[in-house]
Amino acid sequence: MLETIAASRCPRCLAIVAPPAAYCPHHPVAMTPTSLPGIGEIISFTTLHSPPEGFRSPLHIALVQLEGGARFVCHGAEVRGLRIGSSVAIEAIDNIYYFSHLGALDRARLFWRRTGHAGDRINAIARSLVKRGWRRRERADR
Amino acid sequence: MTFRVAPGKLGTRMLDVWVAGAGMTRIGRHSETLQHLMAEAAHAALAMADLERPDAIVVAAMNPEEFVGDGNFASNAATHMGFADVPAIRIETATSSGAAALYAGFAEIAAGLRRHVLVVGGEKMTHVPTPRVSELIGRSIDPYERSYGATMPALAGLVTRALIARHGVSLRELAQVSVKNHANAARNPYAHFPHAVTLEAVMESRMVADPLRLLHCCPISDGAAAVVLTAERARVRIAGIGQGTDTLAVRHRDDLTSFRATRAATQAAFAMAGFGPARVDFVELHDAFASFELIALEDIGLVPPGKAGRATLDGETMLDGRLPVNPSGGLKARGHPLAATGLAQVVECVWQLTGRAEGRQLEGHVALAHSIGGLATNNWVTLLETS
Repeated sequence: MLETIAASRCPRCLAIVAPPAAYCPHHPVAMTPTSLPGIGEIISFTTLHSPPEGFRSPLHIALVQLEGGARFVCHGAEVRGLRIGSSVAIEAIDNIYYFSHLGALDRARLFWRRTGHAGDRINAIARSLVKRGWRRRERADR
Repeated sequence: MTFRVAPGKLGTRMLDVWVAGAGMTRIGRHSETLQHLMAEAAHAALAMADLERPDAIVVAAMNPEEFVGDGNFASNAATHMGFADVPAIRIETATSSGAAALYAGFAEIAAGLRRHVLVVGGEKMTHVPTPRVSELIGRSIDPYERSYGATMPALAGLVTRALIARHGVSLRELAQVSVKNHANAARNPYAHFPHAVTLEAVMESRMVADPLRLLHCCPISDGAAAVVLTAERARVRIAGIGQGTDTLAVRHRDDLTSFRATRAATQAAFAMAGFGPARVDFVELHDAFASFELIALEDIGLVPPGKAGRATLDGETMLDGRLPVNPSGGLKARGHPLAATGLAQVVECVWQLTGRAEGRQLEGHVALAHSIGGLATNNWVTLLETS
């Protein structure tokens, strides 16, 4: 299930910000509420080794370009293998947003999700194919 | 009286503004009070200007309420230095407050409201525990981003990683900024860290906000700096001064690897001066983090886009290079006493332009100072020229 992230849109420049703001940062007009799906792409990320009070070290912080417009700041449990441009899903736990790295399979699922029921079946086939390929590679490695 | 028509602002007539005096304290750890540090800097600037009493005072202090527990700081500082009768105001734009105060003083004279204005900035922080200093500086960050643990180094870490990915800046190039600035500070008796560091020491220092390490980041410092501005002809003129702004939240920006606030400030300053970056002989840049010096070089147009890292590694920005950058040692090694910094940069430029920078003296007629407020939300570019 995809997280829905509350956002707002400027009626003048159509820019979207998340979380919602009362006024557009660039225009003195009230923003209208909207929402965005919790998936996107890593713009940049960092790991703080002596984070501020109330946070545990190491603290991973990422800036994510959400699908549909806004950039979003969130935490992550892990940055191993993460790169600028990596696809991530965003999930809220206790009202705090976390990113998690999406693998090829997750991305395929997100893609097929839009095609409905038929997509699920193709997705399942793809998953089993990838798994079979993976096992064969593991065997070859041994 | 000479009137100047500011290019691009038809019908705006301004008086020429000159810098008659410049002074500062040594940057580092001090036991004296903030108002006392400001007095020391102010009296040094007034002595150089040979002026007993200014017509007005502009004070820059980012957060004396929290750092030293004193408020109403324009009156506090003015009274302490013996100018209780001189009208004083305080200016604040986070870490660029010193440059903003210079602008206020400049405007007072350019408008013909005052003849001689003392501009003084300072901060005292080394007595406060580091996590508390971090938190207080961090209050200039967007509250939502702060609620995710974003500190200045954290946001600078995001910027630096994006810069490395986008422009292929190498870790050696990044480290060389600190190496170069420390080498310059070794020749500056006013610097917080007047000693050299090696490339290896920078690249192996403690990780702060991946990929930023400790020796990529400016220290916590005490200090004050002051200039005396005047409507009467002196050796150095303020040729241009420009302000640029951006969104408080970093997530509301399209680009992490260039600062709109710097680009806008640059444009405004050069438009006022009526010349371009090619005329600039040396610069003082806001290198709070090593990557910021590289970004500023490109945003100001001193180095072609994507070339700042290479230029730094090739020595172009060293004291004897094509374009010396941060002859004082910069924020990294001269130190960064917040509201003093924007003025300390101008003091260095004035000292250089008037042959007072003993041990690190440069040749040149045009200097540029660049100051960043917050995470590049309120930036300033000042152009100084000898007559």
